This record gives sequence, C-alpha cells and structure tokens, in this order.
Amino acid sequence: MSSIDPAIIIKARSDLAQRLGVDESEIGEGQVEQTDFPDASLGAPLEDEMSAQMITPGWRIRLKVRGETYEYRATARQLRLVNFKGRNYRV
Amino acid sequence: MSRNLWLNLSIALALILIAAFAGRLHKWNWHRPSLQTSPSSRGSGQTETDPGSDESDSSKTEILVRFRSNVSRDAIENITSRLNDEVEDRIEAVDGLDVIEDEDNRSADEVVAQYRALSEVEYAEANSEIKLDHEGAGKHVHANDELFYKQWGLFNHGQDGGKSGADISAMQAWAVTKGSDQVVVAVLDSGVDYTHPDLAGNIWTRPEVIKQYEDEDLTEGAIDDVHGFNVVEDNGDPMDDNGHGTHCAGIIGAEGGNEVGIAGVNWIVKIMPLRFMDSDGAGTTKDAIEAINYVINRKRAGVNVRVISASWGSTINSHALEDVIRKAGQEGILFVAAAGNDHSDNDAKPHYPASYGLNNVISVAALDRNDELTSFSNWGATSVDIAAPGQQIVSTWLNHGFEERQGTSMATPFVAGVAALILSTNTAISIDDLRTRLLNSVDAVPSLKGKVATGGRINAAKAVASQ
Repeated sequence: MSSIDPAIIIKARSDLAQRLGVDESEIGEGQVEQTDFPDASLGAPLEDEMSAQMITPGWRIRLKVRGETYEYRATARQLRLVNFKGRNYRV
Repeated sequence: MSRNLWLNLSIALALILIAAFAGRLHKWNWHRPSLQTSPSSRGSGQTETDPGSDESDSSKTEILVRFRSNVSRDAIENITSRLNDEVEDRIEAVDGLDVIEDEDNRSADEVVAQYRALSEVEYAEANSEIKLDHEGAGKHVHANDELFYKQWGLFNHGQDGGKSGADISAMQAWAVTKGSDQVVVAVLDSGVDYTHPDLAGNIWTRPEVIKQYEDEDLTEGAIDDVHGFNVVEDNGDPMDDNGHGTHCAGIIGAEGGNEVGIAGVNWIVKIMPLRFMDSDGAGTTKDAIEAINYVINRKRAGVNVRVISASWGSTINSHALEDVIRKAGQEGILFVAAAGNDHSDNDAKPHYPASYGLNNVISVAALDRNDELTSFSNWGATSVDIAAPGQQIVSTWLNHGFEERQGTSMATPFVAGVAALILSTNTAISIDDLRTRLLNSVDAVPSLKGKVATGGRINAAKAVASQ
C-alpha cells in the first residue's frame, strides 16, 4: 500500500480545528499507522449506515489537542472521525 | 549386399519410430484427463469421467509450470534440462504454461519448490488433478479461464500453500449444471460494472414484456431499469464506482469456460445489479430497503429473481429492514448475507441483516485456503449458518480488471452462487427447501465446530446432487 497523501492529514487537522474551535497550531504533529479496517466504513459506521464487508486497507491518524487524542480513519477515497462526542463522522 | 543392408536399416528405423510414437501416445492418453488444453466455447467445458489408473505411468512426477512471458522456449528447455526434467506438454491456451515431467525421481513438492525458486517462473504447482480423479471424484468439468488457477475457492489443489480439497467442489458440480440464464440473482451492493467482459454476457436485461419500474415515491415517474436499479441516484443505471459489487458479481457468475479472467460459481446466470452503496462502499438502511422493495416488485412482475446476495451490514438492528427481508422470503426470495468482519461472536453481538432469524436468511462466515476460519470473520454457533471461501479471492473489478479481496463479503456470493446452481436444475424449489438443501450440503470442517451452526463449508457438488 502506498504511503498516505499529506493532503489527508491536512484535511483531518483542519476538520478537527474547526470542530474544537481551536487554531491548527494547537494540534500536535500526530501519529499515522497503516492498518486493515474490517469494512468499507473503516469500522466507524454512521448511524443508519450499512457498509461492504470487505477488508479495507487504510490509515489510522491520531491527533492530540490539549491532552486529548482524536482518531481519524482514512483511505485514499474517504476520511472519518471516530467516536467524537459519541458519534462517527464522514469528513 | 548394400541393398540388404539398407533394407534392414530401414526396417529397424521404422520399428524404432513406431515404438517411440506408441509410447508417446500412451503418455498423451494419460495426460488428457488432467488438463483441458483445447479451447472451448462458452458453457462447453470438458466433462470427464474418472480415467482410472490402470494405464498411468504413476512413477513419474508431473507438475504444472507457467513461465513468465519474457522467457523463450529455448530458455525453458534449458531450465528443464538443467533440472533433469522434460517438457511433457505445452498448454497452448495459456502462454508459457507447460506440463513438466520429473526425470530424477523427486517428489512433486520438491519439483514444485525447484521451479518456484526460479525468477523465470510465474507459478508452479503439483498436477494434483490426477489425485482428485484417483480419489474417485467421478465426473468433473475443468474451466479454461485464464485465472482459474488462482481460484482456490472453486478448486483447491494446494496452490500457494493451501490445503488440497478446501474448496466448494465446483468442478464436480459443473458436471451436473453450470447454471441457467433463467435464474436471476440480485447483487444488492455498490452496483456492478455490467460492461465487464467477463460479466457482460451474464447481466440481466429487463425483458420487453416486463414494464419499467414504477414506485410511488419515485419523483420522476417510471425508471427504465434496463439492467437493474440505482437507488442512490434514483435511476436505472446501477454502474459500480466502488468495485465491491463487481467483485461479488464475478464470484456468483463471471462467464466460465470463455478463456477470459475467472469462472463464476455459475458459468451461466443472470446477475441483476443493484446500487445502494456509494463509491465509498457505504449506504443507508433506507436505500437497502428500497432496493429490496425493487427486487420484490420485479419478482411480482414476472422476473425469476430468487436470490439476493447481500455482502454488507452493520450492528444496526432495523425492524424495517427485517420486515422487507421477511417479505422477500414470502415472495420466494432467499437472502444470503455476510456474517461480518469484526472477529466477534454474532450470538453475543448480532450483525445485521445476517443475524435476522428469518427462514429465508443465510448467514455466511469466511474461510481461508487452509479451511481455517479467517482471522477477521465473525462466527456464531447458532446465528451463523455456514462458511465459504473468503480470503485472497480473485474476481472481477473496475476498469475491466481482476483483483483479490477478502471478507465475509467474498464468502457470501459463493453461497448465493450455489443457491443459483440449485435453482438452475430445480426451478420450483421452495425457499424452505432451498435453504435446507444448502445447509445440508456442507463438508464438515474442524475449525468451524462450535463456531457455525452447520459446522461446515458449502459444497456445491452435494448441493446439486440428487435433485
């Protein structure tokens, strides 16, 4: 699998800054880990969402802000925020 | 004197040639049952009976080797000669594929290992089809499709480190039926690339006598559902832009025996493409319900759609989804669903729609090429019914390609495909009987004991036997 497109990380940082109402400079560098997700929703389905049950290679992105860690999951085609205030989001 | 000498020499030479040719014929007769070397037209695979072993020169090891496309015939001859082997036969239908005979008493595993170690070799595998015959498998049909050698789920002879026999016994089933264009299987998914060269001939087209699809909540009137339905965009174009649906469709019904790509469980069938998941492979429960509603509508309109293949799901328990699947059952439609990939117990944590306890639902777990439950597959001693191949499964993909994928998504269409094979020979079978026949047609697999209700892997040959 190819390495992650930096644009995906930029998109995740921007999304998180917006949701938290913080400046992007407050978000730490973050960790990126390549992994296989169990399905096309990257193991992070939205409410009322069904997904293809095919193993999906992608990346887990962890971003840290003010001591809290937030998790995004990505493929080349999609980005999801996991369990943010109890819900998953497609970004 | 000179005249007598030439006469004697000529007779001797003629006798040598006759003896050599007779020996060659003997070998050719022995090889013919093990491989289909001649092209065949679609749906006309070579049916063979157990050739027996009376005339076989079983003392010599044979293997199948495919050399890379840039390796010349001279180079192949040099390699075989260096390894004390001989090119016994060339398989003209596949470039670079040769039958190699060992001349220095090595085992098949040893000879295979020798060739696999060479950079000039794409793959090497034991010629274990002979072994299959000797096991008394009886009639079976070979597929000449280019990637058939990778389709361990249909024919596992130990390739790539797999376990011989850990497959669905497709070749034996094909001796009974290769499917029927009168059987329609709905692939409820991300759509299907209905132009794929290995699928196009098996895509359902709405007959003129069947009216266009009309539904009360459609805002733009009737939909010209030429090949199926796109719920996401409310139109009649279920083209796949994800790949998942195309992959599942190929497992069920890629055209077999056409020398192209792969063989489906059904060589002949009609795939009805439905698109309710988007390019990311996700969709809403509501759209899934609308797609099932479409299938029921088409069934009522006269389309012989008897199976829905559903390689998707979540842990969401929707009563509305359950209701429409129940309704499909009442209309004579089997619903085959993926057990899920969370490596968890569905008895404790249900995965829907597979976990709906309906009499038309079959929940499918995934096996690897060694008959082990895959590391990702869900299981359930009471809520998961059956298992099928689900890892490293090659099938049709976007851009007219072929790719390997894994998941209970891939296991599900194997079972849906076998259901279609049964229906090809028994069109009137009830849903209860169809489901029972499928669940009774398994090979017991130790790794599934206590994990899956039937404890077994689907066996297509058993399913179509004794109709």
